[in-house]
Amino acid sequence: MESENVPSSIVQFAQLDKLLSLGRANSLWPMTFGLACCAIEMMCTGGSRYDISRFGAEVFRPSPRQSDVMIVAGTINKKLELAVKTLYDQMPEPKWVIAMGNCAISGGPFKVKENYNVVEGADKLFPVDVYIPGCPPRPEALLEGIMTLEEKITGTRRWPRV
Amino acid sequence: MTLPVHLRHDETFVLNLGPQHPATHGVLRVKLTMDGEYIVKAEPVLGYIHRMHEKLAEAGTYPQFMPNTARMDYLHALAFNHGYALAVEKAAGIEVPERAEYIRVITVELNRIASHLLWWAAFLLDLGGFTPLLYAFDDREQIIDLLERVTGSRLTYCYMRFGGVYNDIDDEFITGTRDFITRLRSRMPRMYHDLVTHNIILIKRIKDIGFISEEQCRRYGATGPVARGSGINYDVRKNEPYSVYQEFDFDVPVYSECDSMARYMVRMDEIEQSLRIIEQALDKLPDGPVMAKKVPKILKPGLGYHYSAVETARGSLGHMLVCNGDKNPYKLKLRSPTFSNLSLYGEVAEGMLLADALAFMGSLDLVIPEIDR
Amino acid sequence: MSVIESVKAAIEKVVPFSETVIPADPAGEGEEQQPDQVVHSAGAKEVDFAKTGCSLDVLCTAEQILDVAHALDGEQLFIESIAGVDWPKEDQIEVVYTFSHFQDSDVRVMVRLRVPRSEPKVPTISKVFSGADWHERETYDFYGVEFTDHPNLIRILLPEDADFYPLRKDYMP
Ligand code: SF4
Repeated sequence: MESENVPSSIVQFAQLDKLLSLGRANSLWPMTFGLACCAIEMMCTGGSRYDISRFGAEVFRPSPRQSDVMIVAGTINKKLELAVKTLYDQMPEPKWVIAMGNCAISGGPFKVKENYNVVEGADKLFPVDVYIPGCPPRPEALLEGIMTLEEKITGTRRWPRV
Repeated sequence: MTLPVHLRHDETFVLNLGPQHPATHGVLRVKLTMDGEYIVKAEPVLGYIHRMHEKLAEAGTYPQFMPNTARMDYLHALAFNHGYALAVEKAAGIEVPERAEYIRVITVELNRIASHLLWWAAFLLDLGGFTPLLYAFDDREQIIDLLERVTGSRLTYCYMRFGGVYNDIDDEFITGTRDFITRLRSRMPRMYHDLVTHNIILIKRIKDIGFISEEQCRRYGATGPVARGSGINYDVRKNEPYSVYQEFDFDVPVYSECDSMARYMVRMDEIEQSLRIIEQALDKLPDGPVMAKKVPKILKPGLGYHYSAVETARGSLGHMLVCNGDKNPYKLKLRSPTFSNLSLYGEVAEGMLLADALAFMGSLDLVIPEIDR
Repeated sequence: MSVIESVKAAIEKVVPFSETVIPADPAGEGEEQQPDQVVHSAGAKEVDFAKTGCSLDVLCTAEQILDVAHALDGEQLFIESIAGVDWPKEDQIEVVYTFSHFQDSDVRVMVRLRVPRSEPKVPTISKVFSGADWHERETYDFYGVEFTDHPNLIRILLPEDADFYPLRKDYMP
């Protein structure tokens, strides 16, 4: 079968799709998955000062089956690799991944020639949508990352750039 | 309390807790053999965040390892900075100016409060209370603002240098710290204690849960609030005074109930003691430089074994440095406090209810990257 | 008697103190004759706490470690850590144990022993100090030191299927 010619679904609802993605973008449910130092900044973002709920992303779910964005906040090593991959696979579509911190981007401070245990980047395991650099990134950076993801989902940016 | 579970071994099953589990504070995995709701055997599985710090120490020069120290125990990063700086200074024979030591103590103690506040928030989150997290983070952000002012970062500090600190503190920091002390002192009894400590739900959850005896602490080498909650008066700041801690008048809170509540109380009291230390240090703060003169750019400490211990928020942290006269450490062993504290988990959790075992785990105050290093 | 003295006496019973003398090179023309070097080779020796962070430095052999551990246990010390140090030039691996005391201040006993690199075997002390269990597993993990009679000597930090000892000096991924 020529897959290029088959539309993703037979009937297309352009307006409905837009509406759905608007809904999704403004109520992203991240998965609570703190790996290392960056996770603390993720917690700070959820705290009262940075208040991630202003952007509808405060519902941190411990279960991958209930969440639609995975914030990889920390270092992935060889032992954990499989677990992270399983978690990603368990998330229902549509799903997005934010790589938070240098470790999740490239291995960060652990990308050295002596490296025997750290996976150099979450994108070695699954596709990543938004990269947030920093060691650790500030909470503002995570908020910006979430807005960037919203932009990616809906195609327009709802919040002005500062 | 303990049911004779060992009599009913025929119907056990294995429950896998983690590595991704909200109650394990990161990526700890515990393999539990359960008999109904009771734990027959608990076996923590480590290594899910092992980041080769000891190898990296050997690979780089002495100063190059300093940023890594903050990434081990990111909640009390300054104590790790301090411990490493002290170890190298001891090995290389570097004198630190007095003002620098005072600043070190002030920042380390502020960081200790921040660490305890975060533990408090996370512990209560484990037990099902979300609101305390918002209060604790509010106060913690105040500390972080202060520390960011002098250190330049929010979490993973690299503030100390061999021979001093990188930045002097200014008047705004001093007034800010004094304001913070007043603020936290007024909030402690009303918000932290009235709202949470005296809360009957909390008391029911953690009182008489997780009994660790003094002998167990000794056999496993548990230190810090875990040991002090078991009636052991051991604090590296008192037992092996380092830096300028002997100049200050502070108490070591010791509770001998040996349960999770005792460990909780030790930490809450330590916050107050830390405030006392900071206040005295600010009063006595001497003038002078914050960095020793003539610290060589390339350090080459002579042959030998050097051990230096400091008290972090979780217990006694040791740096064992083996030098061979080269410009990088020949071997750096990190004795992390939680590694030893967690090793008694298996023995203590035996016979507990699963829900209690999680409350007990929270009371140990685990920071996984520090266990795995 | 202070803790350090009684620990020293207890260790003296199992590992007698001894020193070896390394004769200095004969002096050359017009040089001053160097004194012979005296090196601590076995047993407990008091060292300067302020300088090294240890109060007793104990050297023993792998066979004696269990007796030393019993002696330290009798003195109510607690285990702090076990570390390995690789010495490829001497073809040896050193295992360093540190112990400290809850009540007395400034007590740290460092016990060191060396085993050949090709067959690093040390008896376990996890029966005496339960906390040694994990520390020994870690040393096995990093250096491949085999602790005989250990109840559960498997990898602790590295993945179960790892086949290398990363902290040995000659290891390079
Ligand atoms: S990027 Fe930096 S702060 Fe974040 S997990 Fe890695 S080491 Fe820690």
